Amino acid sequence: MKKRLLGIFLATTMMATLFAGCGSAAAETPAATTESTATETTEPAAEEVAEAEDTAQADAAEPVTLKWAIWDKDITPYWEALKEAYEAANPNVTVEMTDLGSTDYMTVLATELSGSGSDFDVVTIKDVPGYATLVSKNTLEPLDSYISSAGIDLSQYGGVDKQVTVNGSLYELPFRNDFWVVFYNKDIFDAAGVDYPTNDMTFDEYDALARQVADPTFGAQVYGTHYHTWRSAVQLFGVLDGKHTILDGNYDFFKPYYEMVLKQEDDQICRNYADLSAEGLHYSAAFSGGDVAMMNMGSWFISTLMANIASGEYDASLCGNWGMVKYPHADGVEAGSTLGTITGLAVTSVSEQKQAAFDFVNWVSSAEGAKVMAETGNFPALMNAEVAGIISGLDGFPQDDTSKEALNVSNLYLEVPYAENVSAINDILDTYHKSIMNREMTVDEGIAAMNDEVGKVLGQ
Amino acid sequence: MDAKKAARMEKLEVESADLMKQIRIEMDMKKKQKLIAKRESVQRKATAIRNNRRISREAKRDLVAYSFIAPNFIGFAVFTLVPIVFAFLLAFMKWDGNNTMEFVALNNFKRLIGDTFFVAALKNTIIYVIGTVPLTMIASLALAIVLNQKIRARGFFRTVAFFPYVASLVAITAVWSMIFHPSKGPINYLLLNVFGVPQANLPKWFGGGLVLFTLILFSVWKYMGYYMVIYLAGLQGISAELYEAGSLDGASTWQKFKFITWPQLRATTFFVVVMLTINCFKVYDIAIMLAGGGDGKLSISSTVLVYYIYQNAFNYWDLGYSSAIAMVLFVLVLIVTLIQFRYEKKLGE
Repeated sequence: MKKRLLGIFLATTMMATLFAGCGSAAAETPAATTESTATETTEPAAEEVAEAEDTAQADAAEPVTLKWAIWDKDITPYWEALKEAYEAANPNVTVEMTDLGSTDYMTVLATELSGSGSDFDVVTIKDVPGYATLVSKNTLEPLDSYISSAGIDLSQYGGVDKQVTVNGSLYELPFRNDFWVVFYNKDIFDAAGVDYPTNDMTFDEYDALARQVADPTFGAQVYGTHYHTWRSAVQLFGVLDGKHTILDGNYDFFKPYYEMVLKQEDDQICRNYADLSAEGLHYSAAFSGGDVAMMNMGSWFISTLMANIASGEYDASLCGNWGMVKYPHADGVEAGSTLGTITGLAVTSVSEQKQAAFDFVNWVSSAEGAKVMAETGNFPALMNAEVAGIISGLDGFPQDDTSKEALNVSNLYLEVPYAENVSAINDILDTYHKSIMNREMTVDEGIAAMNDEVGKVLGQ
Repeated sequence: MDAKKAARMEKLEVESADLMKQIRIEMDMKKKQKLIAKRESVQRKATAIRNNRRISREAKRDLVAYSFIAPNFIGFAVFTLVPIVFAFLLAFMKWDGNNTMEFVALNNFKRLIGDTFFVAALKNTIIYVIGTVPLTMIASLALAIVLNQKIRARGFFRTVAFFPYVASLVAITAVWSMIFHPSKGPINYLLLNVFGVPQANLPKWFGGGLVLFTLILFSVWKYMGYYMVIYLAGLQGISAELYEAGSLDGASTWQKFKFITWPQLRATTFFVVVMLTINCFKVYDIAIMLAGGGDGKLSISSTVLVYYIYQNAFNYWDLGYSSAIAMVLFVLVLIVTLIQFRYEKKLGE
């Protein structure tokens, strides 16, 4: 009897604490929103005062510590560089970095920001699905009022900001912007006696070139192209015409590109998907192995290639003589249209020093931050001739004009633009991409399934 | 003070006498025992008051016992029990971890029916369980019987059979991916060169309809060593006299297995099947490692319930929906386990 009583007592206490927990979380959220709107409305006034004070007593500014969420601190050179440069320019600010690892960065970050226990001021936004999640969870601060009071001209980002605007508000400022190019191995083209690819290729020309340079002889195999297992590497050729996006709900426009790649697989022009996914071959290993003539990949691979060839990690006799060209394009579409991904910085809604946090975000995404980024071999969101010059002047960058010209992007389409349900859409496209590439479904079946399933998500 | 005490004493004694009467006339044995226990507790209280002790000796004994259980129980309560109860409530809510919770009644469960990925995950999980449980049981029992004989290097072979269970999952899945590699793996090489399967028809072990088969094969191989050890313990608990008697009656090896070993192992088999079923329903890591490809994402042909729960909870932050799926998994395991318990009980009678 007593035992049962005790059990009931324990259970009720636990239930009580449970509800207490929910209650406080629920009560806190609206409070936090009102607080943030309150700060917003008073912001411009406070800003003016702050500015006035700023000029008067810059040295006497209060010490500020900003907590910043990042990934892969040890192998990514720009975090430390940005931190040091900012701290040198603002002696009162200390930036503390927390490394959450890169594999599941956005998931870990979303977990960190759940509830009210987080103490991050600035968080790095790695991808758009994760950004959509954080925005819908109300964990990020809308930056519009800060942007207008700081007088930032968003047109400098070339329209990318519009692809991540949520109901008229922007919650991140991009500081890094990668775009896809085609890397190629000059030695392979030389050996085959085939002309190098150019900055103005149609998909037919690209396919023909791959077939020309490929050599299926067993033991001395040369692959004309290489497609990494990501869906971006194959299906997103379809969005380059600017008329389609992955949010459309109808994916018939993927078809010609799936057919081109599957045909290349059949003819042993490229490695097949089933093999790649079974062995988990990394794209860098594929290209540095010296048997891949062309590979479409993001511009982040440039700094990896340069650094690893310089350090001897990659065999320079296999892949040292590389170049790059713009993405191929469909007939009637302007050359230089390509896919991109942005990395941005955002201010958390729980931060107690939002203005200081925004100042840091603003600096990193400004021209000054862009210079720091370029010096580490990475592409800032704010691209201009000076920045392009810094990157193409780096040691190890191919010195031919075609490769330098390949850095000029005319139209940039985000791999994943913002939509409320973009996480679910992204996963649906991923899963049927696998089904098509593994030949579990025909191209038509796979695309029909994508249309159906995304249709359900969009209909919700 | 003393008057109060006396009054309480009297009350307790009256209650005790009353209970005694009831016990005398009560015919139902179960109810009778309950009444006896109740009377004992009343008498204990009375003794405590008589001896001027605030808590009775028995209560003290209970408290000591609870204090020993406490460290484990508190951990269990905080990290397991509360989340389970919470998940049960969440299944009727819509919540993303930050915004206010919203009660949606059965909407989460209604959504399940039309969800292609949930149906696929459920189907794949059930196929996996049906494939893995009996095969693992048979394989581990066979191994145990063979390795219970007095053969040379018995210890070595037992270790070999147990090895997959202790080896790191990441390492052995990497080895399996190589062995079953669709174009360079030794298995397909054998099929191509020895059995003459044409290159275009070589099985893709990690894709399409075969991926579940590969998962089942892998799981049987990985788990059979562990359950073999349990069966070995069971086999050694069977008295040698039974076999001796069987031999005297002229029983064949098969008859000895059927009439001695199998019935004697009933409790062990029950344990093995229950544990296996529960473990198989929870499959996640093996699927991710073997079928996840480079990005650790499962496609529709290999997705399993636990993966889909994770995806909904931590990728989409649809905690209510993912809890609803978790409830389905919970009920599924519960039903299967209850059936097994009932069957075991029936056999026992």
